[in-house]
Amino acid sequence: MVGPHLGDNEQTLKSIFEHCSDIVFRRLSLRGDDKLLLVYVDGMIDKELVQSSMLKPLLYHGVPQGLGVLDSLAQMCEQELVAALVAKKVTAFEECTELILRGQIAFLAEGEASILLADVSQFETRSIEEPSNEAALRGSRESFTEQIRTNTTMLRRIIVTPDLKMESFHVGKLTKTEVILAYIEGLPSPTLLDEVRTRVKAIDIQGVLESGYIEEYIEDTGYSPFPQIMSTERADVVSAGLMEGKISLLVNGTPNVLVVPMTFWDGLQAPDDYYERFMYVTMNRWIRYLFALFSLLFPSIYIALTTFHPEMVPPKLMLNITGLREQSPFPTVIEVFMMEFMFEGLREAGIRLPQQIGPLVSIVGALVIGQAAVEAGIISAPIVIVVSAAGISSFVIPRYRFGYPMRMLRFPLLVMSGLFGLFGLALGLILILSHLIQLNPMGTPYLEPLAPTKKNKLRNVLWRRPRKRMS
Amino acid sequence: MRTIKVTVCLLLLGAITSSCWNLKEPNQLAMVIGGGLDINQDGRLEVSSQIAIPAGFSSQETGPGKKRSYAVVSATGKDFMDAGQNLQAQLSRTLFYAHRQTILIGERMAEQGLADQGIGKYLDMIVRNPKSEIKSVIWIVKDGMAKDILKTEPLFDPLISTALSGVQLSLGIKPYYYREFLSDYLPHGGALLMPAVSIQPSGGKFNYSGAAILNKEKSLKLIGYLKPEESYYANWIKGRQRMVTVTAANDQINGSISLRVKPSRHIRVTKDSKGLRVHIVLHGTGTVVENNSPLNPATAKDLKTVQSSLSQEAGQEVSKLIQKAQQQYKADIFGIGELVHRKYPGDWKKLQDHWNDTFSTLPITSEVQLKYEDPGQTNSSM
Repeated sequence: MVGPHLGDNEQTLKSIFEHCSDIVFRRLSLRGDDKLLLVYVDGMIDKELVQSSMLKPLLYHGVPQGLGVLDSLAQMCEQELVAALVAKKVTAFEECTELILRGQIAFLAEGEASILLADVSQFETRSIEEPSNEAALRGSRESFTEQIRTNTTMLRRIIVTPDLKMESFHVGKLTKTEVILAYIEGLPSPTLLDEVRTRVKAIDIQGVLESGYIEEYIEDTGYSPFPQIMSTERADVVSAGLMEGKISLLVNGTPNVLVVPMTFWDGLQAPDDYYERFMYVTMNRWIRYLFALFSLLFPSIYIALTTFHPEMVPPKLMLNITGLREQSPFPTVIEVFMMEFMFEGLREAGIRLPQQIGPLVSIVGALVIGQAAVEAGIISAPIVIVVSAAGISSFVIPRYRFGYPMRMLRFPLLVMSGLFGLFGLALGLILILSHLIQLNPMGTPYLEPLAPTKKNKLRNVLWRRPRKRMS
Repeated sequence: MRTIKVTVCLLLLGAITSSCWNLKEPNQLAMVIGGGLDINQDGRLEVSSQIAIPAGFSSQETGPGKKRSYAVVSATGKDFMDAGQNLQAQLSRTLFYAHRQTILIGERMAEQGLADQGIGKYLDMIVRNPKSEIKSVIWIVKDGMAKDILKTEPLFDPLISTALSGVQLSLGIKPYYYREFLSDYLPHGGALLMPAVSIQPSGGKFNYSGAAILNKEKSLKLIGYLKPEESYYANWIKGRQRMVTVTAANDQINGSISLRVKPSRHIRVTKDSKGLRVHIVLHGTGTVVENNSPLNPATAKDLKTVQSSLSQEAGQEVSKLIQKAQQQYKADIFGIGELVHRKYPGDWKKLQDHWNDTFSTLPITSEVQLKYEDPGQTNSSM
């Protein structure tokens, strides 16, 4: 507890902040022998503001005069009278330390058994930029930043209603990360809301660096390749979700905002699906559906057809494939595996490589995988086509992370079709489908509205209906 | 959970180690693209297979360095698959029948069959063998052996076997697939009309040479051929012709006129006190594609002349053809038996075993009605 003696208080604070070189203790003597101590984290406060509107008036004019007559600093603290929008009086050291660490400035006065804290925090942040992972041809170009306040204001600017609620939680023993639960009152079902709230509250963790931490804690089935919580960096996507009655979770320190609940079809929808003319969108959607399926199945279908059921391939195509495979030293399955590994390696390398040598990957990759391997007779040409076509088509999926399950499940399917042909492929697909049907994130079936079938909603999945007819 | 994991591991290991699977890499297969059935000099069944050499397909080289894209191998045997076994002995890759595009039947095979049984005996394998393609076109080789046709090199395609179905399509005939052969062959009575191909006398190239007539009532033996022109009319009556060019050249029009028509037909079978009666009407509507006469097909006056003389000339051809079938071959090549079967199923039971005899005395009348809607791009003759 804070005592009346400034010296004692200073001593306590100094022992708390021992070896913290970035904490500044500034002692001031005002007219009238008032002693004042300022404590703040260097670099986290707005120095300009503190100097011009707090220090200067105090030093030159003494204690600011409020409604009544003030005699001492203690009284000033009593009335929380500083030139800052947010000010607070605390009496506990723990709370005081935390607020100082969050960028507030602490005023300690002689003879005052409380500490006045003013929010003057200001630190370097990234400005709002274009979304880098969710490109769209049309629509807002704003993407979230690491600063949770910036992110909430972006939502507030879009949805102007007091019904937009933002409940704040702090998660993480060390990071005390702010997590904001945003929803529009009355839209999400109360049970869903309670469920999310309890799950967030139950998180017991040392630190939160990214919304992925929260995602893993609150999702239903961890052992699934499919993401069950949507994460986006676009404010318009979150707003659309909120207006559909979904709940979003903003986490400080990351531009990725979570939206729950998510269905399979959300993963295949692009942000500008609802901005562009419905006919193009419907076509694009179907292209996406087909390519998603294609990226999952194409390599395994190729293996199953050419090595187990060559009678199902059109004769001329089969002859060409056979002709190109004449010199290959490896069985088809092994070839596809090798190429798939190479492709995944290239993809990963593309993310990790420093930007300056990024183009190198594409050049080397295209040369090594494409031409040289075929010419050297290690890989047959059809395999290159199959693997690269399947690989590229997985990037047609608008949400990057939704392409992961497609790319990942390709490998078990390859094994299945390499062992048992189309029969194995069918078996693998049945397993995947039964897993998808079993998923029930936050009480919403993952494949809804397809399974269970909801005719009215299904229409919005099969084609984007004209806006006037959308229910 | 643990048991599930162990079971899955065991299953996978079992599948891998036992190597009990159907996996066959494409380069372990010898793909049979065309098959031929012959009777050789010794009177034994000889099966020939045209096998694709895939390396010849993918190589970019042209000229003398280019690899051949096929090979023809032959072997004799007791039946199709027995000969196939003997064929296999000459090859390093497993024979794979599922991509067979063409089945060719040599003339001697079609004429004699083996041990007085027609070719019907040996065609069972094509439907019975699950690895066999029934979407192959089937041809009779006129004046030659199937083996020799398989060795010819077509102009466009690398393989004769894939070219043969194209021949029928470009002549406006529906390709005669094995499955159609089967559905024609299974009902009793009448005769089959199968496409025929022959080697040009100059050698090396093939030629569409009309249709072969196989008598179903005499265990599918070859009894004769129709000329290519006749085969178009026969296919027209059978409804297998999609496009045909009819040309009239006589004094009435003082020159020649060709009409390309889309054919259709209508056959009416009736029964009165004297017995069955058949009336065949052939319709055709199309475009005038050549006019070497002083007539102007665009005028109403000449339209009637052109249409009637074309119809008349085609009508004569058709009645000649019907006469030929009734008197020379004494075989129902038009599939009229099937129409009788549908209309008078009771009578058919008595007729089916000797339908060809009934057919040859049947009163058949025919007429051709040709029309054109488009006189072509110019009016008068050049």
